[in-house]
Amino acid sequence: MSLSPATRRALGLSPALAIFGLFFALPMAYLLVVTFWRIKRYRLTPDFTLGNYADVFGDYLHALGFTLAIALTIALITTALAFAIAYLIRFRSGLFGQIILLSALATLFGGYLVKIYAWKAMLGAQGSVNLLLITLGLIDEPISWLLYSPAAVVITLVHFMLPFALLPILAGLRGVSEAPLEAARDLGAKPWQITRDIVLPQCRGSLFSAFSIAFLIPAGDYVTPRLVGGPETFMVGNFIENLFVGRMNAPMGAALAFTTLLACGIVLVAANWLLARALTPKWGR
Amino acid sequence: MIARSQVVWTAFGAAALVFLLSPLVLVVFFSLSENANATFPPGGMTLHWYDVLFGNPDFWKALGNSAIITLCVGLVSMISGTLAAMALARSGPKVANGVIALVTMPIMLPPLVLALALATGYSSLGLPLGLATVIPSHLVFTQPFVILVVYAQMSGFNMAILDSARDLGAGPWTIFRTVILPIIRPTLIGATLMAMAVSLDDFIITYFTIGGGMTLPTMIWGMLRKALDPSINALGSLVLVATIGTSLLALRLTRYRG
Repeated sequence: MSLSPATRRALGLSPALAIFGLFFALPMAYLLVVTFWRIKRYRLTPDFTLGNYADVFGDYLHALGFTLAIALTIALITTALAFAIAYLIRFRSGLFGQIILLSALATLFGGYLVKIYAWKAMLGAQGSVNLLLITLGLIDEPISWLLYSPAAVVITLVHFMLPFALLPILAGLRGVSEAPLEAARDLGAKPWQITRDIVLPQCRGSLFSAFSIAFLIPAGDYVTPRLVGGPETFMVGNFIENLFVGRMNAPMGAALAFTTLLACGIVLVAANWLLARALTPKWGR
Repeated sequence: MIARSQVVWTAFGAAALVFLLSPLVLVVFFSLSENANATFPPGGMTLHWYDVLFGNPDFWKALGNSAIITLCVGLVSMISGTLAAMALARSGPKVANGVIALVTMPIMLPPLVLALALATGYSSLGLPLGLATVIPSHLVFTQPFVILVVYAQMSGFNMAILDSARDLGAGPWTIFRTVILPIIRPTLIGATLMAMAVSLDDFIITYFTIGGGMTLPTMIWGMLRKALDPSINALGSLVLVATIGTSLLALRLTRYRG
């Protein structure tokens, strides 16, 4: 065995890169090419047309805007909640925080569909959320718009994305050292000032990671709006799925998918810029 | 003041825990209760819905398919992920971070887009859909978990002991078997279990790449679309117990805490 170290490294990487190339990069590139093709007599036909994109801009701009607004709402709520929970785990109670962390980690990988239909059962007129609110005397009769509404999609996806957003933020908070916090406290800074000026700027990168994943996955989801969104809540994912499966129009479905990804990319670049502006420490200027 | 803020934080923590866990707890609770509508009052305790589920031949078919897929995906992503992680640990941090950013792309994007890309690709190649198309489709989003977790351990690995082993005449395979493997074994098994949990739970990519077949999640989907079938809570509970159990074991083995 006289392979050079560089050759051995390349060999070690090759199975993973082959899987990535064959089953991610290649199909995604093919799908991008298909956006310029047409359907003729129910068959995919190579072409070079921008017609699919023109149709997407003509027919689906409204759905795209609605989807981005919902995904943005979900991402903002999820990131804020995840930061508060991560703050609790890092700086507050010992045991309680550990229980929350373990619960989040244990439920991270499991139960996508189960979580959605659990919320479908919980948010209905007879569901446990309405029952709880009535028992507590907060409402007199069931809130009807809890299920089959955009609110249901937001609640369900915030719940699903929370563990995914919690992990990067917690990793970011673990990297915040204690000494500057104590110094600020000794100099009379209030907890919210310390959080705003020292803690948040230091975990900006992880806040952005959490925000990105909590934005991207909901923006392309179609199962949640289908099951809990009701007839009014059609997100881009539903249209994409319908174009592929129902109308057998892969080129237009693919054009809508890539337009959505591009729009998401623009939102994320803007979000990163805003985050950088908002979290520049006052003492840094 | 300190006491009051402590109360507020404790209340917030309790609320967060209830929010995270109550949907899952309720599914298991209703899988064991008599009321078929899964509403309160739940009625008495019963194992009836599990009986109904186990009497459904579709369940055994779905379980068989899920088991085959999950085991194959676990095995292959363990090998491809570990080989990649070991190679990355010996590369510079720039190369390692670049490769990791590349191969983790499939878990950052909405699964629907990848699912449709794969389905369109398979159909253009004329490949018949089935377990053989599901398994490689899963690998692309399970191997990143193995790479991330194993690389995290390997990057703290003392490479000098490998040089010592080599200087003493051990070949690469002997070094792997007698030095590297004993140290990384718990991490390796834990990372593989994570990949298996992700594969077992996947619905969207499986649904578009399996053709006519069925796995446990696609069976749940089928039940959701038909009229009320109360054994869905039993099936959902089994999937939850399997994925959460696997994840807990993985967390214990890898000591992974985010």
